[in-house]
Amino acid sequence: MATRLKDTDVVIIGLGAAGGVASLPLSLAGLEVIGLEAGGAMTRRDFAPDEIRNNYRQWPMLASHKQAQEAPTVRATAAQTAVQGGAPMMNAVGGTSLHYWAQHWRLNPWDFKVVSETTRRYGASRIPKGSTVEDWPFGYDEIEAYYDKIEYELGVSGAAGNVNGKVDPRGNVFEGPRKRDYPMPPLRWTSFHEKMAGAAKQLGWKPFPGPAAINSRTYQNRSGCMYHGFCNTGGCHVDAKNSTAVTTIPRAEKTGHFKAVTGAIATTIDVDAQGRASGVTYLQNGEEFFQPAKVVLLASFAYENTRLLLLSKSAAYPKGLSNNHGQVGRHYFSHHQGAPVTALFPFDVGAWYGLPAQGVAIDDWADDNFDHAKYDFIGGANLWAMSDRRPIGASSMNTFGLAPAWGSQWKAFIKQNADRSHSSYIQKTTLPYETNYLDLDPTVKDPLGRPVIRITGEYKENERKIAEFSQDKMEEWYRAAGATAVVRAPVGGAMTAATHAYGGTRMGTNPETNVLNQWGMSHEVPNLGVLGASVMGTSGARNPTHTAQALAWRTADHIIKEWKSLA
Amino acid sequence: MKAHFGVCVAALVLAASTLPHRGLNAQSTSQAMTVTSPTLSAGQPVPRQHTPDGRNDSPAIAWAGVPATAKTLMVFCEDPGVGNPPPFVHWVVYNIPASANGLPEAMPIDPSVAMPAGLVGTVQGTSGFRRPIYRGPAPPPGTPHSYHFVVYAVDMTVPQKPNTPPLTRAELLDATKGHVVGRGELVATYQRN
Amino acid sequence: MSDEQPRVISRRDILKRVGAVGAAAVTAPATTLAGLAVAAPAAAAAPQPQATAAPREAFENLTAVEADLLEAIVERLVPSDEHGPGAREARAAHYIDRALGGALASSRQAYAQGLTALERYATASRGKSFLQLSHTDQDSVLIDLETGAATGFTGSSAQFFTLVLNHTRQGMFGDPYYGGNANFVGWDLLGYPGIRTMVTPGDQKALEAHTLTSNHKSAYDYETFNKATARRGDASAHEGLAHGD
Repeated sequence: MATRLKDTDVVIIGLGAAGGVASLPLSLAGLEVIGLEAGGAMTRRDFAPDEIRNNYRQWPMLASHKQAQEAPTVRATAAQTAVQGGAPMMNAVGGTSLHYWAQHWRLNPWDFKVVSETTRRYGASRIPKGSTVEDWPFGYDEIEAYYDKIEYELGVSGAAGNVNGKVDPRGNVFEGPRKRDYPMPPLRWTSFHEKMAGAAKQLGWKPFPGPAAINSRTYQNRSGCMYHGFCNTGGCHVDAKNSTAVTTIPRAEKTGHFKAVTGAIATTIDVDAQGRASGVTYLQNGEEFFQPAKVVLLASFAYENTRLLLLSKSAAYPKGLSNNHGQVGRHYFSHHQGAPVTALFPFDVGAWYGLPAQGVAIDDWADDNFDHAKYDFIGGANLWAMSDRRPIGASSMNTFGLAPAWGSQWKAFIKQNADRSHSSYIQKTTLPYETNYLDLDPTVKDPLGRPVIRITGEYKENERKIAEFSQDKMEEWYRAAGATAVVRAPVGGAMTAATHAYGGTRMGTNPETNVLNQWGMSHEVPNLGVLGASVMGTSGARNPTHTAQALAWRTADHIIKEWKSLA
Repeated sequence: MKAHFGVCVAALVLAASTLPHRGLNAQSTSQAMTVTSPTLSAGQPVPRQHTPDGRNDSPAIAWAGVPATAKTLMVFCEDPGVGNPPPFVHWVVYNIPASANGLPEAMPIDPSVAMPAGLVGTVQGTSGFRRPIYRGPAPPPGTPHSYHFVVYAVDMTVPQKPNTPPLTRAELLDATKGHVVGRGELVATYQRN
Repeated sequence: MSDEQPRVISRRDILKRVGAVGAAAVTAPATTLAGLAVAAPAAAAAPQPQATAAPREAFENLTAVEADLLEAIVERLVPSDEHGPGAREARAAHYIDRALGGALASSRQAYAQGLTALERYATASRGKSFLQLSHTDQDSVLIDLETGAATGFTGSSAQFFTLVLNHTRQGMFGDPYYGGNANFVGWDLLGYPGIRTMVTPGDQKALEAHTLTSNHKSAYDYETFNKATARRGDASAHEGLAHGD
């Protein structure tokens, strides 16, 4: 029998990038907020620049074993049996925002209006067959203020490309207009980044430094980035990486209206006789508790968001909470962010220090920034050339057919070339499809006996064509910068459990095809909201976190504004 | 100095010359060559020492009937039953001087070791195992595979760009299109239990 | 040790053995060394064989036979040569051995089975223990493991080979805190200038100009970092020791 706790106004399940953001506006408004976090807290002392631990022993993820035990199963199509793979995220106060790359992009205006814009420019027949893509229930302009909010509240460094319609080539000339510049200049460039930028300009492209939720100088009394080289899957030893653990959550705690409960594993979102959410049942140290609340916000990352809804069955919601229209788990996709191009240069690129968020971007070939008349796909890719190298990783570099993987010949090769390869990060427009979805695995369970999520998904023809196109462009860019050899990774395949996972609880006007309304609140359960990229219906050619955080703040503001009718 | 190996066996000469000229452009100038080996016999299992069940040393290969117009020779060891597309390539050797009449047993697997005498300019190319060395038959247990030791005579030296990997069989066949003046092969088998 | 090089008994060896280190012994070879077969040392690159073996560092989880095999394997994966020390000098086998008792414990069985299978395969195919083969023959055996051609392994030999190669890279190039990359020989091979908690624009420029000398620092030379995986109840025994789980 669960111990019933004192009532609270809002309970947030998950204190990662999204839940961690929502905690602040809600508590600033004076609402009483409880944050349930399955993991624990970590500090900068836990983040040694240690490649073995960070990159080969799953630190800091393994500080909590839970997420590995509930990793999704994966299959490309419904004709196959899904197999359990790895867990891409971590449970902790701050969640994966503790150690993610922290690239922090706004979506392009086109990403919100893929259907209407494609129809207008190229005709409705250009929408890929089998895609369930819809226009978002709002456009870029409606959330511009929230992008700005996140940039200033958390701290995002970058160079503006369009301030109130005035285009500035020091930034992204393709971006949607913003009211003001970033609060900090962008992270610095290395000589190699300068060289890549120069090569891009020679090609007639428009290179610019990418935005990051990482301080480029002291900000809010936290240090600027140290460029020490262990940012990839590493926490920050100086709190320059603006996770919610060092920004919004401590500020929320200071208001006195927010409390974080750690080691709390949510097992059910409960409902009352009227079909409204009544609170959350959770386990902590094996004991069961019920946290009643007037509003429930689900923010446990895409897979767990869908999972908890499907596992929260009741008389009013026999197929899972908010799933009477069968939309929970639908319109899922893993971002197409792999299939990199790797190059060998005849000179050192100086990448032993630096970080993945430090680099030069090309947006000329992203989304609808170029005319697709002669292409047979829609959308595009962001090309990103960054700094990311550590010793063990360098030792397993591609040898471009010039040496085997070990032995004397390899040793001579690695001595010369350890700092001479470069790999690009290419994020592509990815769309939802009818046959890509999440549901509960029929056989695989976590240690509590609860089924894990099953991913059924594969990259479709449109995305594979974008991938091939983007590899052509990346190779062109590398060779223009002096690369002597270039290799490409394969473009297709199954959608594995990803760090960028979208859908499952999509936002949209139509309750027949979407779980949430335009405010991130459930169409069916008025006092239930969902936060995170699971609400997003398209990806754009960039990371989801900035958008997920902007939407989290916006949902929180909506809850505050509508409190009387919601509570 | 010429390399001199083995003894030709009449049956082998007959077998070699009646084999169809697969993979060859239909040039009437391409001559049939004979391919022999002191340890390999046509239609017989490859001896263990030339497989990973033994030392995995390359076999000695000898040839005769090299046309006068030949400048260099190429040797491949291919398994037509494997690969997407087939064949799977176990060994590639090219730019063998036309003056050589064979390859000795146990060609070097260490690239810092010099080529044997009489083989100046010879290059071991990139095999299906992505290494510039001989690796012998290792078929999955049960079914026998055939291993074709093919020798081409070409009227050119194959150029190689600096700082590029040694060429593959596919690249070599492409580079020597229209330049093949002779061909022969010796087919052996191998089976693992 | 390679059996491709002739075992050379140098004058230096003999002098060491007879304890004759004085100038007199060196300058009067005819008298002192008469009757002994003395040859000039081999080509300059050949290392002088040691007269007395250095004391062997204990292995903790591998058996002596397993350790011998692993040492021989890692030495071929990253040999000691004109480009500098290799995996033996880096103590990569000791890194793996220690990790097999902790973070890599799930691979302990794979090593037991794989090393046995490798030795059996070497003997069956090359006629000798892996430890007695020449370097070239050892490489040939390892290539056959790498391509999956070697028989007698659970599953493909390539799986075991990849496991050992990956762990050897960790042992060669990981933070010395874990017992490998001894004296930073791995980082020096790559040209990695060491752990820094702050990299200034000046440091970056020096790196690009190849003037940034290695600071030979481990992450744990910096006091700040809490080693959250330290063994419980054993804190005092590990003070001053340079290893972790």
